[in-house]
Amino acid sequence: MSKYLDLDLVEINKLLKKKEITPTDLVLECFDRIEKNKDLNCFITLNKEEALKRAKELEDKEITSLTYGIPIAIKDNIVTKDLRTTAASKMLENFIPIYDADVIKKINDSGMIIVGKANMDEFAMGSSTQTSYFGHTKNPWNKKLVPGGSSGGSAAVVSARITPIALGSDTGGSIRQPSSFCGIVGLKPTYGRVSRYGLIAFASSLDQIGPMTRNVYENAVVLNTICGKSKNDLTSFDTSEDFTRLIGEDISGMKIAIPNFYVNDAIDMEIKNKLNDVVQILKSKNCTVDYVDIDYIDKAVPLYQIIAMGEASSNLARFDGIRYGYSYENPKNIDDLYLKTRRFGFGNEVKRRIMIGSYLLSGENATTYYNKAMAIRNKMRNSFLNVFKKYDLIIGPTATTKAYPLGCDLDDAVKAFMDDILTIPVNMAGLPGMNLPIGFSIDHLPIGMQIIGAPFDEAKIYKLGSFIEKELNLDLTPSGGDNND
Amino acid sequence: MKDKLTKEEVLHVANLARIEITEEELESYQVKLKELLDQVNTVNEIDDNNTDYLIAPWQNNSEFREDSVGGMLDPKEVLKNTPRKSGNYIEVPVVISNE
Repeated sequence: MSKYLDLDLVEINKLLKKKEITPTDLVLECFDRIEKNKDLNCFITLNKEEALKRAKELEDKEITSLTYGIPIAIKDNIVTKDLRTTAASKMLENFIPIYDADVIKKINDSGMIIVGKANMDEFAMGSSTQTSYFGHTKNPWNKKLVPGGSSGGSAAVVSARITPIALGSDTGGSIRQPSSFCGIVGLKPTYGRVSRYGLIAFASSLDQIGPMTRNVYENAVVLNTICGKSKNDLTSFDTSEDFTRLIGEDISGMKIAIPNFYVNDAIDMEIKNKLNDVVQILKSKNCTVDYVDIDYIDKAVPLYQIIAMGEASSNLARFDGIRYGYSYENPKNIDDLYLKTRRFGFGNEVKRRIMIGSYLLSGENATTYYNKAMAIRNKMRNSFLNVFKKYDLIIGPTATTKAYPLGCDLDDAVKAFMDDILTIPVNMAGLPGMNLPIGFSIDHLPIGMQIIGAPFDEAKIYKLGSFIEKELNLDLTPSGGDNND
Repeated sequence: MKDKLTKEEVLHVANLARIEITEEELESYQVKLKELLDQVNTVNEIDDNNTDYLIAPWQNNSEFREDSVGGMLDPKEVLKNTPRKSGNYIEVPVVISNE
């Protein structure tokens, strides 16, 4: 089997330009790898026929970008015209979108080839990809472990070197936490950096689509492609720039902050130690590293529960069994249709969140809970912004643990959110945040750190990230794939 | 503090959410929803009466757009995913009934 997909994008691009390989070679190799890694259950829907057709079309065209001809996996909550999009729910098991999300248009325009729709937690609700209606995804580093979530399929695909690039979405950590568990680079951009048009909404004031890649440079390249204002998403901003421009620049003198909360007792010692190794490197490069306090950061989880579940209950009200999606057969009347469609169409985690959200927004509760949460959220955001007046970036661990066993905590309503205590604050404040692999646990599982930037300061995140990446020079190809079934 | 919600409270919430639940689920929700609500309530313990709300992280300035006719969708396309239809119409079950 050829190994072109192990090369970096710059090298693949050179080979394509020299006509030594074609996009079809890349797509065929990709589907070989999909077949070999079938047991990981990374995909809900494959797009082989269309992908090959498109690869053929691309062969005769001018190569206009670094991502030209590159296979990509798309999280299954981003709509793709004529390609089934399920959000990993029975509710959308047979849903064929009639339009492309804004990011899909951009992906296609830049010459990337969509090979399939990646598995995820149902409606992105979960952090282990175990709530998917289509079965769980396995972690390529150890198949007995979760890949993280909710973009677990996207993370596993990139980690297992099936595609060099995937798109994920992040509402409370859904790009960064699986990236940490699978040893890849995943960025949640600033809220508004990437259009959400065509992203099946979970919590509209938190959701962002972002790139998941093998390294920092390629992440920046993909962000270059997908960012920008859209007339279809009025919360998007016109902020195009070259995100690779600071990569390779000297980092000495950078001012870095670590929130005290990000070294709390809930975080594994192993992870804190790895972070500390990075801090030592930064200090040796004359960076300032200080510990800071962020107001209410310890309340991020309950804040998230109010805001995310409130918004989710409203967003998911559209699934009524009438216009599209699953519909209960032979209802007695319209109320019966709503009640039974939603009973049988949604999974347990989704139902639980809709119910709590409905309660929190009902009657007087809207004032008691939602308004209060919006006020505290504002204070937390302002506290973050104050830190950025003095510091370039904030760092900390991405997750409190490394990847954990499949089957764990599936039905624990509260524990599910504790995975995300370090990532949720970033969504609350609308900031950009990236997972960067920084080493391995004693049992050789990836450990990640998070680099958080001021609003619209992704370029600086990439600058620091690429420096640390180069300094550590880790081999991030999963080794455990074949021998731990 | 009580350690679970009453059955009536859960049924009220399920009705708001338009989700039918079984007797068995009802019992499980009494405990699970309570656990979540207890955690959510820690926000209300924060002594802060600030009313400066964050609705969306970054506010875009509102802009006017041209008042022009946009792209139209083909009804056949629109109804492609519709479970019950009749011609170019979406069918719904009985809205007013005695059951």
